[in-house]
Amino acid sequence: MDTTLPHQFIELSLHSLKRVPDYAFQLNQQSVQQFNSPDIHDETLKLKLEPLHLIPSHKEKIVAAVDTSTMKIGETGTGMIIAVRGANVWKQNKRYRYVRFGPFIFHVTEENKKQVYETLERTYFNSIHEYGHQGAPSILQMPTRIASLLERWLQTMAAKTMNNGLILFDGSLTAGTTETPTHRMKEILDSARKGGNVILAFSKMTNLRADGHRITESLPEHKPPFLLETEGLRLKPPMTLLGEVYVARLTKGNLAFRLDIDKGVASELRVEAVEKLLGNDLFAESYPETLRLAHILCTFTANEVLAMQHFVTRRFGLQIVNRPDMHRLLFGVFGKGEGYS
Amino acid sequence: MKLYRKEGNILQILSYPGETVEKGDYLLVEDADAGRALIAQVIDVQFASIPGVLEELLRSLPDGGELVKGEDVDPLEIAPHISYIQDASLLICKIRATAENDSLSPSSSWLPSRSQSTIKKLPLPTLLKLAKVDGELPIVIGGTKDSSLLTIDATSLDGRLNIITGKKETGKSHLSKLLMVNLVGYKATVVVFDLNGEYLSLGLTGDGKRNANYDKIHVLTPSQNFKLAIKQLNLHVMLGILIHALHLPGTSAREFRRIWIALKERDSLTLRELGETIRNWNCNQHVRDALFSRYHALVNSGVFTDNIAEATSLEEYLLKTRENGGAIIMNLRNTSSIDRQIVVEYVLGKLVESLGNTKLKAVFLFAEEAHLYLRETYWDDIVTRMRHFGIFTTFITNQPDTIRENIYRQADNIFLFNFTNEHDLDVVSRAARVDAETVRSIARDLPPHHCLALGRAVRDFPIVARVKALDVKTMGETRLFFASSTSQMK
Repeated sequence: MDTTLPHQFIELSLHSLKRVPDYAFQLNQQSVQQFNSPDIHDETLKLKLEPLHLIPSHKEKIVAAVDTSTMKIGETGTGMIIAVRGANVWKQNKRYRYVRFGPFIFHVTEENKKQVYETLERTYFNSIHEYGHQGAPSILQMPTRIASLLERWLQTMAAKTMNNGLILFDGSLTAGTTETPTHRMKEILDSARKGGNVILAFSKMTNLRADGHRITESLPEHKPPFLLETEGLRLKPPMTLLGEVYVARLTKGNLAFRLDIDKGVASELRVEAVEKLLGNDLFAESYPETLRLAHILCTFTANEVLAMQHFVTRRFGLQIVNRPDMHRLLFGVFGKGEGYS
Repeated sequence: MKLYRKEGNILQILSYPGETVEKGDYLLVEDADAGRALIAQVIDVQFASIPGVLEELLRSLPDGGELVKGEDVDPLEIAPHISYIQDASLLICKIRATAENDSLSPSSSWLPSRSQSTIKKLPLPTLLKLAKVDGELPIVIGGTKDSSLLTIDATSLDGRLNIITGKKETGKSHLSKLLMVNLVGYKATVVVFDLNGEYLSLGLTGDGKRNANYDKIHVLTPSQNFKLAIKQLNLHVMLGILIHALHLPGTSAREFRRIWIALKERDSLTLRELGETIRNWNCNQHVRDALFSRYHALVNSGVFTDNIAEATSLEEYLLKTRENGGAIIMNLRNTSSIDRQIVVEYVLGKLVESLGNTKLKAVFLFAEEAHLYLRETYWDDIVTRMRHFGIFTTFITNQPDTIRENIYRQADNIFLFNFTNEHDLDVVSRAARVDAETVRSIARDLPPHHCLALGRAVRDFPIVARVKALDVKTMGETRLFFASSTSQMK
């Protein structure tokens, strides 16, 4: 796997931090670690009730997974300080290995947000996504945008460097959003296909509903592992589905997941890919261990947040202050803090 | 280091990696604005409660207990900061005193500033100087962790009750020898009840040569070089032996008194005469039997003799030590339980007698495993009545529960070696001059030959020291079954 570090990421990270003015630095406890799928409500979506029963295939395959995480670690007078980290995990010869990138810490302000984002985009994808009438992302969107960029880069690297493997993504294969431009996702899927890889994207949460029910709930009683196919899912342009959407219940238990598998792969190969995944990875509650590890490895712990705060205060001389919590201040014991608002 | 919390006389201090602080160390929490400082001792070192540490540890072990291997590309080098936070420790400290204008007070009632206070390690020599743990008659106990010497003043043992306790083979006897030798060096009279023959060679160096104390160490072995002529004994000493060591009932004791007085009037106080008189004495048969059985116990002990020439005068030995100091070692090794009690009863009686008529100033008594020969009523006697006569006792034991609680409460100095057993630690922590947390926390982790000195000798600042080596011939080693075979194998 190509582990060449995105140098521009580091440079931009350091550069943005060096330009932190002498403002006090406000600790922030909010976490922006989850990427949610775009809100889709499609009344035409149907779930095929006849399951595709799966037989685990133990033929040796590399299983790789990619995940990233971001966290706002504080505010300054002009913007916010965010941290981003990504992880590639792969299972080969019954052993898990990982490469973890980051944390990268950015000081994002109204002034530099466009420059930061565009520089990163240009460096890694040789293109700049057109924002259209929306303009550059807002400061609040920046944590997820930067993490998204890192994630796409990690996905691209995995797709380009692996051969005949299974690549697991966190989320869906929905493209056409500002975070995931269609051409970029297509490039990733094409690269993967060229190397004989199949991309499978697991969504921890989905808003897709069939007959009024979330597609991962109220499933028919079948013995797992099985897949349920969906049909009739249409998205509003410019959003597009680059994957075939399934509901996967891969182990006993209550959980099932939305599983998107590259549409460019023949349907029998898609099912075969899931069978190979079953035979080559561990599963707990229908979720693959490789992807779970990727998530665990990139998630920031409170200890790491403290460490990053320690880093920016020590290295860049930021002064930490605690802004009074308005909820507490105004409502006393009834104010549960900003995180609850 | 940062002051985190204060609850009662417990301080919690946050310490960062690189600040090497260990249990037993002293810290000075100085509040410059208040013009005073707290002196606190670290009694426990814990991990600071850092949020997210559990997740951090868990994620490194997700694969059935085997570490997931990988590479961390950390260009900003955040990892050292993570370790720095993760390895922060919380020091639980006991406030020992407040320092103000170079004087110490035991107060812990004020609160230093959390934000402005500076915290630094207080070197032991500075503490000892502040606490005035020195004096004109220094006894070097050993080296402390920061390579300074722990020196106590011999006067802090004078008139005091001391306890040396700890697990087997942690160095208790070694310390008691050290104290003894130093006391003898300061011309004190020392009496030792030596249960295992460990003190017999205090006059010899490690390689068997005579040392400076050779002439001051007097070893007395019952029935060998320690024999008593009945004539030399006072009636009350003999009655003490009969009643307390041999459990003679009161009625019989009264008859014995009559017999003794009659024999003394006839100037025929000998063992032989005593036996004859009991045989022919006009009294109840049961009384006679009781007296006879005790008489035979006295005869069989081998301690008593009619031959004045081979009789020992304990008083003479005591007087020998009066001018230049000396130690009388009562060798109780290979002595039966009853004989031990006879000897101890005699020696204590004789000491009280000698001290009572001011022939002696005072005696330092070292009693090893005293429960094996000291009768119940003597415990209180030793710490109250006998102390006023000038008998200053040091108890040495590896079974702290054999010493009664009131002894602990009145102990002035405790030299504590390693204990791991909760029950033992409980017992010791009852001492008035000790706090239970300190005992439990520090004593448990003491390495062999390290003792925690508590009490008056260290001005109530518990200090850990490695007891210094003593160049005396080692005795009383445990005889081992496999010792010869393992050395042959080597």
